[in-house]
Formats: sequence, structure tokens, C-alpha cells
Amino acid sequence: MNVWKAGIERRLQISGALIALGLVVELVSLLWSHPAAFLLFLLLGGSLMCAGIVIYLTSLVVHGPSVGGGDQTPATGAGVRAGGE
Amino acid sequence: MVGMTPLLIGIILVGLGLAALLIARPSVTATRGGKILAFVTLFIFPALAGFTGTAEHLEFSKSTQFCLSCHVMDDYGKSLRADDRSFIPAVHFQNHLVPRDRACFTCHTDYAMYGDLRAKLRGLKHVYVYYLGTPPDPIKLYTPYQNRECLHCHLGARSFEEGATHTQEPGLLERVKLGQFSCLSSGCHNIVHDVKGLKDVKLWEGGGR
Repeated sequence: MNVWKAGIERRLQISGALIALGLVVELVSLLWSHPAAFLLFLLLGGSLMCAGIVIYLTSLVVHGPSVGGGDQTPATGAGVRAGGE
Repeated sequence: MVGMTPLLIGIILVGLGLAALLIARPSVTATRGGKILAFVTLFIFPALAGFTGTAEHLEFSKSTQFCLSCHVMDDYGKSLRADDRSFIPAVHFQNHLVPRDRACFTCHTDYAMYGDLRAKLRGLKHVYVYYLGTPPDPIKLYTPYQNRECLHCHLGARSFEEGATHTQEPGLLERVKLGQFSCLSSGCHNIVHDVKGLKDVKLWEGGGR
């Protein structure tokens, strides 16, 4: 595994973990019938999920395919090897 | 909570399963299918769960159960069960003149363009005061109660338009409709929640919780 591939996979794992945590918080807030549940959902769950999405989208930009560049080889091949798998 | 909750819980559980898969095996994203899976898991599902969850929470915030879940609202909840016809909220609640599961929201939202939104923002302020401040005692409305909130249902109703008290004084009905004479004026419908006088009133036990 090269560094590039390890980098994007690590980011995807972090993103997935944050989103999973956010979803768990949302689940708890739904089962808790109290006004504070909305704050829990919005402030904690929302922040975790937003952070997860941002890290995922950032990883696409940072580790995405280079346009016109021939010297980079994105290991996960985000779009580069389309159709070849 | 009700409504979309089963669907939302389903979305959350599926999202959790997919996220677990990505955490355990991030290498699946090397394939085209894996990339789509990552996009669905890390973008579509959280967004869907976020929007649906917000809608669900906002919907629940309209419920009587939600309003009465704060300790400071206990007496107001009891006033809905006052066994006394002079208590306006009790008459409405006990006789299904308002939906019991939305009793508070039905009368305490502004029936104007941004009424719902304003009510939600005030609700957030209430949560803040409840946890980080000191709730006022007694609780007071931000603005005097407006006839508009009553007329939303009563306008055009025969009991309102032809009621003996409403028609005995010329011009009274028009003044009420224009908001120039409050429905809650002394001698009219002035006993509302009256939490101070509630301890002397028998409570109605029927109707379930």
C-alpha cells in the first residue's frame, strides 16, 4: 500500500467513524423525549456528521485525480480507473 | 416520537452498518462500486438522516408531551385538567376543541407567516433559560395574547358570531375581530391557566395521559 492510498483510506475511516458517532447520537436523541434531545441532536450529532462529511469531501479534493498531470498515480484511483474495474 | 421515526431509525441503522463496513475495510473504495458506496455512506445517508431528524424533532416540539416535559410547565399542564369550565385551556383540552396531543402549540403559536419559525426560535431560548438561566416566576408571554390566535378557529363559528354576550353590545364583535378588545378582558374569558388558583381546583382524571 502506498502513502497516497493509506492517506485517503485513513481519512475515509475517520470520516466514517465521525458519521457513525453522529448517527448514534441522532438515534439516542430520537429515543429521548425531552427538549434537550433536540440540542443533543443539533449541536453534537450535527457537528459530528458535518465534520465527517467535510473530511470526506476534503479527502476527495486532496486525494482526487490530478487533471492533466501525468506524474501522479492516485492509488484509490478516484475516477481515474473508471470502467477498468 | 412518532411519524417518520421508524423510517429514520431504519436510515440510521443502515447508515451505521455501511459506516462500519467502510471503517473496517476502507480498501473497498478502490473499486467504482466502493466509491459509490463511500459517497452514499459518507454523504447521502448523513444528509438524509440530518434533514429527516431535524423535521422529526421539529414535529415533536409541537406536542403537548414536549411542552410539559419541563418541570416549570407542570402547573400549566395541570391547568388543562382543571374540572372547572371557567378555565379556558381546560375546556378546550377536555372537549377536544384543540387536539390534545398539540394543545399548547395550537394556541401558543402566532398564526402569521413566520409564526411557526418564531415559536421554534423562542423554544430554543426557553431551553437555554431552562438549563443556563433562571426561568421567570410566574412565566409570562412575550407579548399580550392576541385575539388572532382565538379567531383562527372561532371566526365564523355560530357560537362566536351569534353568541348572546358577543352581540349584546353593538360593535363589540367588530372590536374583538379587529383586536381592539381582548378576548381575555376582565369579565370575559379572563381565567386562563391561573396556576396560582389551581391548588383549590379539582382536577379531571379522565382522558388518559
